[in-house]
Amino acid sequence: MANLKEVRERIRSVQNTQQITKAMKMVSAAKLRRAQDAILQMRPYADRLNKMLRNILSNLEGDAQTAFGEVREVQNACIVVVTSNRGLCGAFNSNVCKAAMATLEEKYAGLYASGNLTLMFIGKKGYDFFRKRYPKAVLNREFVDLFNDLSFDNVSTAAKRLLTAFETGEFDAIEVAYGKFKNAATQFTITEQFLPVAKIEKEAGDKLVADYIFEPGKEKLLDYLVPTILQTQFQKFLLDTHASEHGARMTAMDKATENADDLLRELRISYNKARQEAITKEILEIVGGAAALENG
Amino acid sequence: MNIIVLTPDKEIFRGEVNSVKVPGALGEFQVLKNHAPIVSSLEEGKITIVTAGGEYRYYDEESGAIKDGSEAGRTVVFHISGGFVEVLKNEVSLLVTGVRNGNGNGG
Repeated sequence: MANLKEVRERIRSVQNTQQITKAMKMVSAAKLRRAQDAILQMRPYADRLNKMLRNILSNLEGDAQTAFGEVREVQNACIVVVTSNRGLCGAFNSNVCKAAMATLEEKYAGLYASGNLTLMFIGKKGYDFFRKRYPKAVLNREFVDLFNDLSFDNVSTAAKRLLTAFETGEFDAIEVAYGKFKNAATQFTITEQFLPVAKIEKEAGDKLVADYIFEPGKEKLLDYLVPTILQTQFQKFLLDTHASEHGARMTAMDKATENADDLLRELRISYNKARQEAITKEILEIVGGAAALENG
Repeated sequence: MNIIVLTPDKEIFRGEVNSVKVPGALGEFQVLKNHAPIVSSLEEGKITIVTAGGEYRYYDEESGAIKDGSEAGRTVVFHISGGFVEVLKNEVSLLVTGVRNGNGNGG
């Protein structure tokens, strides 16, 4: 049976840890709400951009041709791994890394072997994960600190960099591994192809809304519009991951607080047992001592 | 004429206006009531909105806060780095990027 002082110290240390996990859960809940707001606020912008695209398409003959839809033989590929900067969020980061790893093994094992695969990291955890496991991949840390400022202007510098890399042929395919946000308790970690984009096709619902004036011309407008849409999409990857991270941390910290409760209950029982035992022992000693005196 | 100005991060203007001047790709132009349907990309420059009275909500470039107003004939200006404008049946949508925040940085 553990001695009293030891158990008391363990109880105190578990209580301290529980306070930390409780606080972290609260902080994450607040941050999650803000992250969700950011996703919601971007939606009207993205929706209107898409509507504009549809409007232009409905005025075009045939499908849209853009430089970003060009399917080439893949000689150089890039996987963007979007993880959080910090740990203590359950299996979230390792799930994102595993999704990226699965894509790497399935689609780009050959490119990896020949050293033509680039891994770009946004968020520090991904870098830590891949650095040792995949020494032959080119590791790109240009945008590892992107999460410090999630405004569109900041994030779009990274998106623009990727778009340029695709246009100039530096990469022939770009995939993004990230945490797709569903709700606080559910996040999916998936890998999505960012470039080349799927062909933009007319939909059955597209009809001529009005006879628009297009400045500076339909095709030119598409050249501006498509990159902007792609940047918005990239922003969404980041905002989703950000929200997922906080959702995952909230769940993980909630679980940790619960576990601490269980642990405390057990420790308190063994503390009481030890105390009881000590008291019983003392009484026995006193009674034994008294009996010895009487007999003597 | 109803107008809504959006950035990817937030809504920066919504309300009734008399006119709006935008830096179009082929030169600056002004949109008044009953303008023909148009879609245009925007260059770096400034958007000048003249309000028509009635409630409107706007983002104040100086202080970086969202404010409400209702006086007519007020001029609200935004500096942008690019974007798009769509006009259809007296509904103007402006999608812009690079609006400055209170510190004078892009935001």
